Amino acid sequence: MSEETAQEQQARRQDYSEKEKAEVFDGEFMPHVDSMYNFAFRLTFDEDDAKDLVQDTYLKAFRFINSFERGTNAKAWLFRILKNSFINEYRKKSKQPNKVDYNEVEQYYNSDDVDESITTDLRVETVQHMIGDEISGALNGIPVDFRTVIILSDLEGFTYEEMSKILDIPIGTVRSRLHRARNMMKEKLASYAKEMGYNK
Amino acid sequence: MSETMSEFSDWFKDTFKQCYCKKGNLVDEERFAEIVQLVLDNEADAESRSIFEEKIKTCVKSSMSYEKEKCIKDEIKKKLCEHKAAMPANLVTTIRKSVDL
Repeated sequence: MSEETAQEQQARRQDYSEKEKAEVFDGEFMPHVDSMYNFAFRLTFDEDDAKDLVQDTYLKAFRFINSFERGTNAKAWLFRILKNSFINEYRKKSKQPNKVDYNEVEQYYNSDDVDESITTDLRVETVQHMIGDEISGALNGIPVDFRTVIILSDLEGFTYEEMSKILDIPIGTVRSRLHRARNMMKEKLASYAKEMGYNK
Repeated sequence: MSETMSEFSDWFKDTFKQCYCKKGNLVDEERFAEIVQLVLDNEADAESRSIFEEKIKTCVKSSMSYEKEKCIKDEIKKKLCEHKAAMPANLVTTIRKSVDL
């Protein structure tokens, strides 16, 4: 990554007035809220988590608004904050055991609706129904690091250089990760086509 | 960055050469798909792009591989854009309130 010194960073710091902060926030940050939510949702597969993640990102963006230079790439800056928040907070959270309402579970397993396939990834299935066709389904089924590069490149149109800054990885890694991610998508779509009775 | 854009461009040219045998036939389709990806993502510089375009004019296998990758990329993009998650109606208001705007 760029090896900017603390002094250089300090020199680049802005000193916005309250009015200017509001202008930057409304004019440069808020237009990206839709893309941010979509990105967050595709990372978390959960509406509430996505909402929290976006809110948290905007709070941080406002808190650190003086380190954002007006007219530079606000979207990439915001995506970087969101990605870091996701890694630092939401990924950790998702590794914790889920809180379960045992009455609900008991009620379910005592009912006639019990289905063996319940053990599959419910989040992925749910999201497929919500935003889904086979391509979204394939995307949702690949690991998050690979899913991320597809979203950033194919959906949001970021360049490799922007992606390398957002993700804190070298450009070469962006290139190879994207290649692997697309191969994973192709494999998933090929399996889907086979299931649907299409041959090569 | 550990890899600059010019090194990236060198990588493109070296890798492109390795996709073909001495007779000029495409022999490494997997590697070629990686090259195509760079072209489709607009990451190849003008010189690399021109070398690439010249080649696909004369090599049917390369041209077909390019069209296949292009078609997959376009379809992925189209479908992902069609199926964006709907943003909660109150999100903008909630964000603005949370920062006192």
